[in-house]
Amino acid sequence: MALILEVLDARTGEVRVRRWLEGGPLTLGRGYDNDIVIDDPYVDAHHARIGLDEGGAFVIEDLGSLNALVGPDGTRQTQVPARAGTVLRVGRTTLRFQDSDAPLPSALRDAGGRVGWFRVPGWLGTTWGQLTVTGTATGVFAWNTWLGTYEKSGASESVSTALGLLMLVTVWAGVWAVAGRVVVQRFRFLAHVAVTSSAAVAALIYATGSDWAAFVFPDNALGRPVAIVLGIALVTTLVAVQLGLASVMTRRRRWVAGLVTSGVLLAIAGVVRLAEERSFSDVAEFSGTLKPYPAALLPTGRVERLGADEADLKRRVDALVATHE
Amino acid sequence: MNGTLLRASRSARWTGAGRRTPLPLRLALVTLLLSAGDLPGQEGVTVTPDVFRRYGDRVVRIQVVEAGSAAKVGVGSGFYIDDDGRLVTNYHVVADLVHHRDRYRAELGDGTTPGDTATILAIDVVHDLAILQAEARPHAHFTLGPAPVQQGDRLYSLGHPRDLGLSIVEGTYNGLLQHTLYPKLHFTGSLNPGMSGGPTITAGGRVVGVNVSTAGNQVSFLVPVDRAVALAARATAPGYHPPDRLLDDVDEQILGYQGAYLENLFSDSTKTVDLGPFRVPTEPATFFRCWGYVPPETDLPYKRAEHRCSTDDEVYLARGQESGVVALTHQLITSTTLNPSRFYALYTSVFRRDDTPSGEEEHVTGWRCSTRNVRHDTIPLRAVVCLRAYRKLPGLYDGVIKAAVLGRRDAGLVSTLTLSGVSFENIERLTTRFLERFTWP
Repeated sequence: MALILEVLDARTGEVRVRRWLEGGPLTLGRGYDNDIVIDDPYVDAHHARIGLDEGGAFVIEDLGSLNALVGPDGTRQTQVPARAGTVLRVGRTTLRFQDSDAPLPSALRDAGGRVGWFRVPGWLGTTWGQLTVTGTATGVFAWNTWLGTYEKSGASESVSTALGLLMLVTVWAGVWAVAGRVVVQRFRFLAHVAVTSSAAVAALIYATGSDWAAFVFPDNALGRPVAIVLGIALVTTLVAVQLGLASVMTRRRRWVAGLVTSGVLLAIAGVVRLAEERSFSDVAEFSGTLKPYPAALLPTGRVERLGADEADLKRRVDALVATHE
Repeated sequence: MNGTLLRASRSARWTGAGRRTPLPLRLALVTLLLSAGDLPGQEGVTVTPDVFRRYGDRVVRIQVVEAGSAAKVGVGSGFYIDDDGRLVTNYHVVADLVHHRDRYRAELGDGTTPGDTATILAIDVVHDLAILQAEARPHAHFTLGPAPVQQGDRLYSLGHPRDLGLSIVEGTYNGLLQHTLYPKLHFTGSLNPGMSGGPTITAGGRVVGVNVSTAGNQVSFLVPVDRAVALAARATAPGYHPPDRLLDDVDEQILGYQGAYLENLFSDSTKTVDLGPFRVPTEPATFFRCWGYVPPETDLPYKRAEHRCSTDDEVYLARGQESGVVALTHQLITSTTLNPSRFYALYTSVFRRDDTPSGEEEHVTGWRCSTRNVRHDTIPLRAVVCLRAYRKLPGLYDGVIKAAVLGRRDAGLVSTLTLSGVSFENIERLTTRFLERFTWP
């Protein structure tokens, strides 16, 4: 068994220096002639010394420094016995003593770039991979816009729409990248662009699917709850993944943050919707899209069923008569 | 009516044209048919001043003022029909009083001196007539009765055009309008806003009709005098009391009027028209007028055609609110170059266009709609039904039924049936009847 000194980074708490302590004295300070140099403006040039006391136990003593040694309880001390588990501060730097055989948590399994069952291919981490994802997403949006146009100008319109969307994505990704640069000193702009455009494509796939579902099964009761659940899932995932790129938060906290974000967005959407429903409008909404779906496969009711719908509408508008919306 | 109502309002704007009713097409058509030449009036040179001198004092100016501010909100005309001070005018001249009895009052006279007030005795909202009771006794009055006239007869219309003082307009009687549900006389002469409710008379002083609306360019319309006779008879019958709430009368008359009006719409004998690959109903009844419209050939990747039918028989209920509008629109789009996805994007945009009648919160609720895919015979249809209720007229609704024929990848048809101011039962019945008239040729 031997004792080990760890010098921890003031901000992140990561270990900067790890030194096996032997018998001889060891000096700490900002000066270059020390055994352990600590770059901390609150530390004296010759701040402290670690040596053995009469009983042969390690002890750390202050060399008359300005800020002295500070114990975990915040008290200034001049001499502290150094044992496994001792923690104290010099200036703003933390010193920690560890046993060489201190118990460790078991090793994490290397998922090999998997997220759940999904294996993230290695090339997605490269610049070219991220550019490919972004380019594909832009292409998908251009193609989808083109399918929604019917004028001659459709091609130019779809290109400009896709580029406009790409611009929004880069602004969003830029904010995340700058935040990441501040928090974890890494500017992962392209990765954020790739993640955001993937989320946009996922949203597009969902919107298209829901349009088709609403065409085949109009006014069905499932549409709204499914939309809410999928919307929450998408926003939560996006935020959690981007937090993973731009922060050192634990996985659990990232997902919680994602959930909170989508919850706030949902609440805002709900309030807006409520306000819209409450306000009077003489414009009728013929919502939904028509799809080139094979008519033979389309579930249809009899024309008479519309009478029941109208009876239901009558109840709803009759209820509105007294209340000025 | 397809014309503009003849009441001068504060903004001097002509009232009566609905925002989204397809009027411009009809007006343009009517306008083009006539040149705006002056009517020759050789013998009128001596007759007209005579008519004006003899009958002018039987016509009165009616102004509707807001009770609180005493501000004038509208001016029309009216004429005395008996010694007791009863007078005839248009319903639309005094509609504000019907809707807000406490907020407005009707004043007679030139407007410079505090005039006599008049109260409403009876209304006929369908024919746009009202009988008022003046406080004071008139100097003179017309006597209502049959007035034999024939096409081409010279007539004289009296009233207060644009509130400029009593005026006389000479014109020609042109008989009953064709293709209307309820009778209207065609008067060739320039009626102007403010003349609403004034009489149109023969040189001998017989009332032929009541001024009601104009389509511009000397095309003017009168309510036949027999409608006024009938209403006056009701108002003067022994034991008649004006109802406490005239709006109930409006409600009842509108609902009653629909019986005849909507009964045979889209009956089995309804005509059909072939639009592209579709066969659809047209001219739901004889009093409908239908037009086709094909835009000029363009280099667009698709083609459109339109077919619309509507009635001329709108009933004025209140400012900005008409009833009895039944309109039918078919919009056909075809394309040989667009792929199915892009064609259906176009189809969706045509389907989603809002062409419902406008309305104000004071009068109607918001729309509520529901959507369903239905099939009639072998025709799959996407159908949206929308409904809104009238706030002050219980039992009256506006309904819009919009259907798109599905299943074709190169042709689409959006058909819209608009029913305004009708009973729920009629909306329900006509929805089914309308959609069941769709067939393949």
